Amino acid sequence: MKHLLLRLEPIIWLIFGQGIVIGTILLTGWIAIVGIAAPLGFVPADALAYPRAHALASHPIGRVLLAALIALPLWKGAHHIRSLSLDFGGLSRDANVATLLYGVAAVGSALAVIAVVRL
Amino acid sequence: MDRLAHPDAMRPARPDRTRMAPPRLPARFPFSGRYRAYLLFGASGIPYLLVGLLLLHSIWALGDGPGAWMAVMLAFQQPLYIAFHVLALAAVVYTAVHFFWLFPKAQPPRIGPVRPPPRALIQPMLYAVWLGTTALMAAILAGWILP
Amino acid sequence: MVEVRRKTFVVTRFDPDRDEVPKTQSYDVPVQPDWKVLDALNFIKDHIDPTLSHRWSCRMAVCGSCGMTVNGEPKLTCKDALSDYGDTVEVEPLANFPIIRDLVVELDGFMEKLERVKPWIVRAKQKAVQEGTYRQSPAELEEFKQFSECINCMLCYAACPVVANEPDFLGPAAIAIGHRYNLDSRDEGADQRNEIFRGEGTVFSCTYANECSEVCPKNVDPAAAVNQAKFTAVIDWAKRLVLPGPKEG
Repeated sequence: MKHLLLRLEPIIWLIFGQGIVIGTILLTGWIAIVGIAAPLGFVPADALAYPRAHALASHPIGRVLLAALIALPLWKGAHHIRSLSLDFGGLSRDANVATLLYGVAAVGSALAVIAVVRL
Repeated sequence: MDRLAHPDAMRPARPDRTRMAPPRLPARFPFSGRYRAYLLFGASGIPYLLVGLLLLHSIWALGDGPGAWMAVMLAFQQPLYIAFHVLALAAVVYTAVHFFWLFPKAQPPRIGPVRPPPRALIQPMLYAVWLGTTALMAAILAGWILP
Repeated sequence: MVEVRRKTFVVTRFDPDRDEVPKTQSYDVPVQPDWKVLDALNFIKDHIDPTLSHRWSCRMAVCGSCGMTVNGEPKLTCKDALSDYGDTVEVEPLANFPIIRDLVVELDGFMEKLERVKPWIVRAKQKAVQEGTYRQSPAELEEFKQFSECINCMLCYAACPVVANEPDFLGPAAIAIGHRYNLDSRDEGADQRNEIFRGEGTVFSCTYANECSEVCPKNVDPAAAVNQAKFTAVIDWAKRLVLPGPKEG
């Protein structure tokens, strides 16, 4: 497993690197509006109501963006939590920790694709 | 005195000539000095992972129909969710600022024949893309564009 | 009359023949205003305790011998002014290294990592002497010059959280020096080095803490080198997926 992880490092780093940049850039607007402004009542009621939300999300661009919005933070999160584990002396458990975290990110990414396809 | 690094840190492959004392962690690691900012950057991974999972749940609900979506929107109004999203926003902003500071010098001078933009330009460009994209997405989500 | 203050130096001591674990010993030292930490250590050795062991040489921050931890920070003791410190100064050996004795750490681990990155010009075919010298423009020199300024002082290794936790990691200086050669227009060994960068001790273990660059006394910016090396190693990896190249191994 350790050897497999070593071989996969370049691509994990690429996804993670893009996960930071693109995910962060996309995520800010979502969290600010859907997570904070709308629940606090600063957004017109029908902006995020089902008809409009579904229409926006099921547009091809919407589907791609939402899939990225789900998947990229998962990879960034997985990679950084793995780094945290290593920073606290976790080398011996790294193979298990990395498998678990990247596994969650991989499964989450697959589910993200399904989630936007089934909209 | 006795905060130890990995026992094999910087150990040479050849056998030791004398008995050596084990390597010790940097004095300020992990909770003091500049390491604090580093830890925070790493810890921001936790809200990111949770946001990703929450988003997955939300979009899945959107695919389930109006009732499920409404339930998610109502749940987001609970104080716990709002607090979580504020924390997540802080994590995202912190990540962006820290990463945009680090990103420019990580560009090699040349990739084959292609040169990246001058370092002084990269940070402003990243901020412009970030703020522009955020404004656009916010406007769309809040219904100010594409009503 | 020269102003003399007294400072207390709390110095790590470790004699493998006598001590189970390192301990500290305090010395009361009369210091002069223009002294560096190294001057105080030499005073201790010359006038107070000749058994104290520490490395030093050039006294002008070019040899890289005198790296130690001073009040928790990795410093070149010949460059570090005592006037920056209060009445008590703690001097310990560099973090992350096995300790041979007192303030002297084992450096062979670094030498082994350095050798692995092939820190020399690699050519497919050496140029014969009669063919003349390699020509390099100032612009080509600029591309790698900063990374060639490394004096191997090891402060970056002492600051790096990955070095502390992952013994295989090549580390800031070794990767920076390898990257320096990858960027050198005379070199043709980038393929080999990128393979090493992706192998055991992988550059991707770096978490971009940037501590190495914060402590580097020569502004080499090893963090920049390591993260540039990640980029070039990935591109090299992607190219190999698509194009046939020299056999790996």
